[in-house]
Amino acid sequence: MGNIDIAWCPGCGNFAILKALKAALAELEIEPGRLVLVSGIGQAAKIPHYLRANVFNGLHGRGLPAATAIKAANPSLTVIAESGDGDMYGEGGNHLVHTIRRNPDITNIVHDNMVYGLTKGQASPTSRLGFKTPVQVAGVLLEPFNPLAVAIALNAGFVARAFSGDAEQTKEIIKRAVLHKGYALVDILQPCVSFNKLNTYQWFKENCYYLEEAHDASDRNEAFKRSTEEGKLPLGVFYLDPGRKSFEESTVAYREDKRPLYERDVDMERLGSLIEKFKGAF
Amino acid sequence: MCGNEALAEAAIIAGCDAYFGYPITPQNEITAYMSRRMAEEGRVFVQSESELAAINMVFGASATGKRAMTSSSSPGISLMQEGISYLAGAELPAVVVNVMRGGPGLGNIAPSQADYFQATRGGGHGDYRTIVFGPSTVQEVADCMQLAFDLADQYRMTAVVLADGFLGQMMEPVVLEKKPGRKLPPKDWALTGAKARPQNIVRSLWLPEGSLEELNHKLQAKYDRVQADEVVCEQYDTEDADVVVVAYGVAARIARSAVNKARHEGIRAGLIRPITLWPFPTEQISMAADELRIFLTVEMSNGQMVEDVKLAVNGKAPVLFHGRPGGGVPTVEEILERIRQLSIPRRVRTA
Repeated sequence: MGNIDIAWCPGCGNFAILKALKAALAELEIEPGRLVLVSGIGQAAKIPHYLRANVFNGLHGRGLPAATAIKAANPSLTVIAESGDGDMYGEGGNHLVHTIRRNPDITNIVHDNMVYGLTKGQASPTSRLGFKTPVQVAGVLLEPFNPLAVAIALNAGFVARAFSGDAEQTKEIIKRAVLHKGYALVDILQPCVSFNKLNTYQWFKENCYYLEEAHDASDRNEAFKRSTEEGKLPLGVFYLDPGRKSFEESTVAYREDKRPLYERDVDMERLGSLIEKFKGAF
Repeated sequence: MCGNEALAEAAIIAGCDAYFGYPITPQNEITAYMSRRMAEEGRVFVQSESELAAINMVFGASATGKRAMTSSSSPGISLMQEGISYLAGAELPAVVVNVMRGGPGLGNIAPSQADYFQATRGGGHGDYRTIVFGPSTVQEVADCMQLAFDLADQYRMTAVVLADGFLGQMMEPVVLEKKPGRKLPPKDWALTGAKARPQNIVRSLWLPEGSLEELNHKLQAKYDRVQADEVVCEQYDTEDADVVVVAYGVAARIARSAVNKARHEGIRAGLIRPITLWPFPTEQISMAADELRIFLTVEMSNGQMVEDVKLAVNGKAPVLFHGRPGGGVPTVEEILERIRQLSIPRRVRTA
C-alpha cells in the first residue's frame, strides 16, 4: 500500500482511525479476502481505499443498505460500514435508523468530526450549537444529532464512542464491535484540522472522559442516561446486548442452510416442482 | 464574481424568498453566499440534511406561493428528480440550479454537460417538461435567473439552470440589476389560508378514471405554449456558413473561438447557440438546415443534445458530433480541425 497517495490533510484524525482499524483487524486475524469495507461519500469514506481489502464505495448516505445486503448475500464475510457523520447521520439518517432495527451482523464505524470536510466546512449533523462556519454564519441553531442515544433508543446491541486521539482504546473498541454479533455502532470523535477550529485535539482532550470501569453496559436505561449527559462526552462502551438475533440468523434464507448463497447449488428437484407448478397455471 | 455567487445574487434580486441546499462540490459557493445574503435580506435559508429534503422544502415553500429555489450538482440533482416530477404534477413553480460535474455515479468534480438528457427529458417519472437554460457566461448565468423565476411562475413549472463546474467557478465581470419582470398571473392556487375562499389543494394524485389523462393534456397544452413562445437562441455568423456548429454553455464559448479561427482561415463557419435547451430551438435549426450545409454538434458529453439537433434537422443535412465525456473539455484546436475536415467538400465544389 506504500504507493497510495492518501488525500487527507496532515494531522487529520482519519490517520489515527485508519491505524487503529488496521491494528484491530490484524489482531483479530481477519483475512483481507474475507473483509468488505463499505463506505459512502466524504473524507472518512475514502478509508476503504487505503486498506488492502474488498471495497464497496457507493452512494452518499447509502452505505448501510449496501452493507446489509452484502452481509445477507454472504454471511461468512466480515462487513464494516465506515463513513463520516454527514454521510451516516445526515444524508443516511433514515438508513441508520432502519439498519439498527434490522440488526444485520455488521460493524458501523462513524468518523465524527462535527463538520463536512470534503465540501470544505459546513455544519454537519453533529456540529455543536453555536458552531460558526461560512454557511452557518450566525452559528449552528440545530440541536446536535446524538447517535449514541438514538442507537440505544433503538436497542442496538453494541453502542460505543471512542476518540481518535486514544489509539489503544479506539482499537480495542473496534475489535469488540467487530466481534459483536449483530449491528454495532462505533462513533469515533476526531478533529478536522482544516475546517473545525472549535473541536480541536485540545477541545476533545478537555471535553471527553472515560466511562468508569463500574459502568454497567447491560443496563439500557443507564446507558441512555450516560449518552444524553450534559457537558463532557463519555468514551467507552455505553451499551451491550449480545443476545439479540441478527438479521441473517432470522432471515428465511439461512434458517435451515447456513451456507452463503454463492456456495449453494441449484436444487434441481425444487426447481423442477416449481416449473411443474407454473405449467399447470397456464 | 464567480458564476456561483453571481447566480446567487441574481436570484436574490429576482425575489427568491427561500433557498434550500445541501453541500456538494462544485457549487458550495452558492450555499455559502445564500446563507449570508438571505439572512441580510431577512429571507429563508436552510442547509438541509439531504438533497431529498432540499427539493421537498422547495415543494413546500412553493406551495405557499413564495419564490423558492435549490441548487446542487449532478449526483444531488439525481436525488431531486422525484420531487421535480411531483412539482410538475402539482403544477408548482420552482427554480433548480445544476452546476454539472462528471458522471455517471459519483464521477468527478470536473465540468461536464452530461445531464442534458436528465434536464431536458424530465429526469423523473411521468409525462412532463422543465424549462432548461444553458447559459454560457457568468453574465448570462445571472441574467437567466430572473427569467427562470418569471417563467416558473408564469407557467407553474420547474425552471432548471444548467451550468457546469467551469461556469460556477470562473470569475468574470458581471452587471447585476433588477430588470422589469414579466406581468405574471396571480397565484390564486397558493396555500395562503382558506379564509373567505374555497380551500386550495396541492396534489399530484389523480385517481378518478380519465382525470390524469385530462391533467396530462392540460400540461401538454402548456408545454406547447412554452415551446412556441419561449425559445432563446443565438445565431453567430450562420448566414453564409457551410459548417454550423451547435453548442451551448461553456462548450459554445470554445466553439465560438474555433469558428472565429476558421473564419480567419477563410472557412465559412458559424455557431448556433441554444440558450434555452428546452424549449429547444428546433425551428431555428430546421430553417438553417434548409441551406446546403453541415452541422457539427459540440458537447462535453458523449452526445446528448446532438439528438435534438438531428430531430430538428430531420435528415435535411448531415449532423456530426464532437464531444468529450467524463469531465473532459474539447479544445479550440480539436473543434477547428473538425471544422476544417467538414469544410473541404464545399471548398472543392466552389473551386
